[in-house]
Amino acid sequence: MAASSNKGSNGKGDKTTRNLVVGMILLVVVAGAGAALASNHAVKSASKPSAVEATDGDGIGFNTSAPVKVDFYEDFQCPHCRDFEAVNNAYINKIITDGKIHAVFHPMSFIGNESVLTAAASACASDQGKFLQMHAALFANQAANENSGIWSNAKLIVLGHSLGIASTKYDECINNGQYLNWTKNVEDYAGKANINSTPTVLINGKPVPQNTYLNSAAFQAAFSSAGVK
Amino acid sequence: MKKVLNPTTQPWLTLLARLILAGVLLAAGWIKAMKPSEAAASVRVYEVLPVNIANTFGYILPWIEIGIALLLIVGIWTRWSSIAAGALMVLFVIAIAQAWARKLPINCGCFGNGGITADGKVHAWTYATEIIRDIGLILLSIFITCFPNGKFALDNGTKNNENGGER
Repeated sequence: MAASSNKGSNGKGDKTTRNLVVGMILLVVVAGAGAALASNHAVKSASKPSAVEATDGDGIGFNTSAPVKVDFYEDFQCPHCRDFEAVNNAYINKIITDGKIHAVFHPMSFIGNESVLTAAASACASDQGKFLQMHAALFANQAANENSGIWSNAKLIVLGHSLGIASTKYDECINNGQYLNWTKNVEDYAGKANINSTPTVLINGKPVPQNTYLNSAAFQAAFSSAGVK
Repeated sequence: MKKVLNPTTQPWLTLLARLILAGVLLAAGWIKAMKPSEAAASVRVYEVLPVNIANTFGYILPWIEIGIALLLIVGIWTRWSSIAAGALMVLFVIAIAQAWARKLPINCGCFGNGGITADGKVHAWTYATEIIRDIGLILLSIFITCFPNGKFALDNGTKNNENGGER
């Protein structure tokens, strides 16, 4: 009943229009899914910062011979990571500079374009020996909203200079997007390692419980029980 | 069944149901399509699929949602696209329910509380609201499947939108 009343108002279905629309929708779906599959995997030819450890998913490593290995998975735009760093940054940097842990940083970029830019910039800073400083500064200067436009190449260069980086190689590294492809390798590895939230900290491959992340005493206890004194 | 609904209002109800279902799918799909690695993580967290397959599915799923949403908006293959949308929602309900039962946090990326907060507490309401929302969408898709004939549909005038359960 209802069908016939509606048919009358619309006349015969226009097959050409219909097929054209179906074709366009199909194109959107196939192109979108194809692009997503094509662009989200590791790039073998990516240039990598000098501190990279190929065996650890192209993470940026410190003290490779220290016995306790700690992986840090963070996104520079992630507010929980900023809170985590506000509580634990000083402690983590101290045990790294004291040589007590083999640290591997995996700067992730799942929050979008400014995550990619900041992760690549941290790799540029790593080549200038300033990764830890850049890492701390990026969290300290995190924007209230993700991808809000605060991180451009120009601003990342200014931030690096404020940390004492003087080499023009740093500026070139950022302006040339030298490590943009490297961020895909880090992201790909994190995905395969089943890292589903940030921050994630692993001590010798075992996740530190999330409920310690904002409690410095409990967080440090996890390290001392792993032999970091 | 057909007599229950007024033949002049029913096509408008179907249009409304199509637009609501399509709107939710389009928004959800678009947000995830813009952040593919987060979309992959959001499939991994349910720990149903092996990691590699979950990642691939996570990249493709947002575009399937967008495709179904567009078909529902223009009203092409209305019955079949609403069945597909409903099937997707049934999958989501199963995924959420099993995550709830296994106490898996279903947050992904960085937006915090996804059923289990940092202090380790399980927040049943987070799972329940997701399931209730999806069941609402399943009901809409059932309505469209039973009454695919709606206003402003490119299916109009074809055999694809005849009402009723009969084939």
